[in-house]
Amino acid sequence: MADLYRLVYYSRNRVADGPEALDTAISSILEASRRNNARDNVTGALMFNSGCFAQVLEGRREAIEDVFERIQQDERHGDVSLLAFEPASRRAFANWSMGFVGASVHETMRYSGTAEASGFDPSRMTGDALFETLVRLAIEEEKA
Amino acid sequence: MRHGLTPPRHDPDRAAANGSPTGSDQALFGDPLRSASGPRPTALPEMATAVIILNEDREIEYVNASAEALFAGVDPIGCTMEALLTSCGARGVEAARLSSAADEPITCTRVHLADSRVLDCEVRPLSNGGFVLSLDDVTDHVRSAELANRDPLTGLANRTLFHHQLLDRLEVVKRNSGRVAILLIDLDRFKAINDTLGHPLGDALLRKVSARLTGALRDEDVAARLGGDEFGVIQSAAEQPDAAELLAARLVDLIGRTYVLEGHTIHIGATIGVTVAPRDGLDADVLLKNADLALYQAKAAGKGTFRVYETGMTERIQARRLLEIDLRRALALKQFDVVYQPQVDIATGAISGFEALIRWQHPVRGPVSPGEFIPAAEEIGIISAVSEWVLRTACREAMSWPGDISVAVNLSPVQFRNGRLLEVVTSALSATGLPASRLELEITEGALLENSDAVLAVLRSLRALGIRISMDDFGTGYSSLSYLQKFPLDKIKIDRSFIRNIDHEPDRLHLVRAIAALAKGLGMKTTAEGVETLAELQCVRSEGCTEVQGYFTGRPVPAREAAALLSSGVQGSSSREND
Ligand SMILES: Cc1cc2nc3c(=O)[nH]c(=O)nc-3n(C[C@H](O)[C@H](O)[C@H](O)COP(=O)(O)O)c2cc1C
Repeated sequence: MADLYRLVYYSRNRVADGPEALDTAISSILEASRRNNARDNVTGALMFNSGCFAQVLEGRREAIEDVFERIQQDERHGDVSLLAFEPASRRAFANWSMGFVGASVHETMRYSGTAEASGFDPSRMTGDALFETLVRLAIEEEKA
Repeated sequence: MRHGLTPPRHDPDRAAANGSPTGSDQALFGDPLRSASGPRPTALPEMATAVIILNEDREIEYVNASAEALFAGVDPIGCTMEALLTSCGARGVEAARLSSAADEPITCTRVHLADSRVLDCEVRPLSNGGFVLSLDDVTDHVRSAELANRDPLTGLANRTLFHHQLLDRLEVVKRNSGRVAILLIDLDRFKAINDTLGHPLGDALLRKVSARLTGALRDEDVAARLGGDEFGVIQSAAEQPDAAELLAARLVDLIGRTYVLEGHTIHIGATIGVTVAPRDGLDADVLLKNADLALYQAKAAGKGTFRVYETGMTERIQARRLLEIDLRRALALKQFDVVYQPQVDIATGAISGFEALIRWQHPVRGPVSPGEFIPAAEEIGIISAVSEWVLRTACREAMSWPGDISVAVNLSPVQFRNGRLLEVVTSALSATGLPASRLELEITEGALLENSDAVLAVLRSLRALGIRISMDDFGTGYSSLSYLQKFPLDKIKIDRSFIRNIDHEPDRLHLVRAIAALAKGLGMKTTAEGVETLAELQCVRSEGCTEVQGYFTGRPVPAREAAALLSSGVQGSSSREND
């Protein structure tokens, strides 16, 4: 696709504590994402660990700019650090309107425990590394 | 003769009818009940004004040609007015008001239809119990009035409407003691973006800013674009200034978040001044002046923040203006000095270089802290001249030091903007004879935010000369890790706020470890700034920092003492540790 762009960022979770509030927030984020992204031909993956979101978005440049503008205004997170925003040669998440890494919050919590122990912390990764990680995790998810 | 054929428009009877709602209706319209079967007066069907006649049950009995044209496609006969209007998308309240008009002699209502037409409707009761409605299409008139009140680029209110709205709100405050806050918002760095990336992109950015602004407001708040990159908000709320402070903090955060626009990543900031009525006054001009003073204070505090007006602000601003006057003269009067703080290699304990730091000694004020006068120098536009002076002085004085001892000089973001940086640096080197390899330039993230491509080109040229570049105060700004990849840097200087008490703060320890590891991976050195104790030094050493700078390893000293430090061999951390 001409004009394909990829955007990678991570941000700090600002949803109130408690698994229920998080569950609700993440379901509603994913629901809106899948609905809007399918419409706008945007694909990508979202990952969550107890403190951070990390997301890859790919699609036409204008579409990415529009969805990122909405995401920027979302009060459920803050301190958004943009790691990459650049042309891409092909989609890495072609089949995902918004893949979520970690099937439920509980699983994500469990996952993030091991992830933190293994040193996973999006704030310490470069855009490329974070992107690679999300691709790898999404592939594992798909296999599971 | 035409005169005889056309219904005379200036018939004295009609003029009278216009002035008297009930008396002469029949002279104009005939008796509607009877005329349902009988002939209409000749004037009515052809009148430019749309006319509708209702019977006693408020059902439409007659429409003239103009009225028919207004509601083309609908057969109105037998409907109520409310049904007719709501079928055209009029707001319920407006339609209801129109059809319940009974007791007042004349009711005028403005009705907004779904196709965005605006009608002015006038209802008059007839003596026979029916009603006559005249409808005027005022769409064009209303739209041009609205346009006159709107900023065409963003659709926000313009300065005129802002002022009117403010006067209206202040009237309410005077009557029932509510509270109103005014926020004046200035965008930081917008001009630079507009200049370097072009006006169309600047315009698109302003639209995004105004969308973020309105997104954070309630319906009853007023948002206006007051000038190029200046916005205003009027917020009515019971709890003031609390509500305004919350809003201001939210806007600073929201507007300051990164934008992606036409493939560019853009960082701008918002600085806000707040004032509250009736606390700070009830006069619009006084309040706007207060908000402006508060805005000025917020800018003086380093931008990207807000300030609420306080009494005494005028005095403080007066003091700041006096400081600015003194500051303008300081260079010419030779009141500045440069001192040098040792940078120590952690592995060897030897001094590897010095950072040049400016000092201002004023004959009356005494020493003025750089934290106070550097922002002022930026604000009044003399920072480039001051920085250039420091650079030349540092290069010259470093020549008196032995060997390969380097000197680090701070650059201001402004210097990247004016396009002369490369020339200034090369001329300082050639005038003093200092080898480029002994000069290190310290930049802050602020410099990298604007127009990265131009900055990147300058940094590359500087490095091509053999000059080293370090990132100062790392961790205090956007700290976007992408900068570390994108820009050619030799060193990261970790801000002192992460070093203080690092031996008691595991969070800081982890952060410093992560930054040091990242820097090592990218082939950069790391300096821990502000090391004050042995315990802090041991921590940053074990976390992998390669250099330290701070009171523990040496305070800033004049150039001559710096030279003495080097020759006495009393150097660095290991000797201190062994004491
Ligand atoms: C971490 C995070 C990621 C999000 N990702 C997306 C996304 O990929 N697509 C999307 O449309 N909205 C996303 N949102 C939600 C948007 O901020 C916004 O709520 C949503 O687009 C509004 O859509 P609606 O108007 O259709 O309800 C995300 C929000 C958060 C906090």
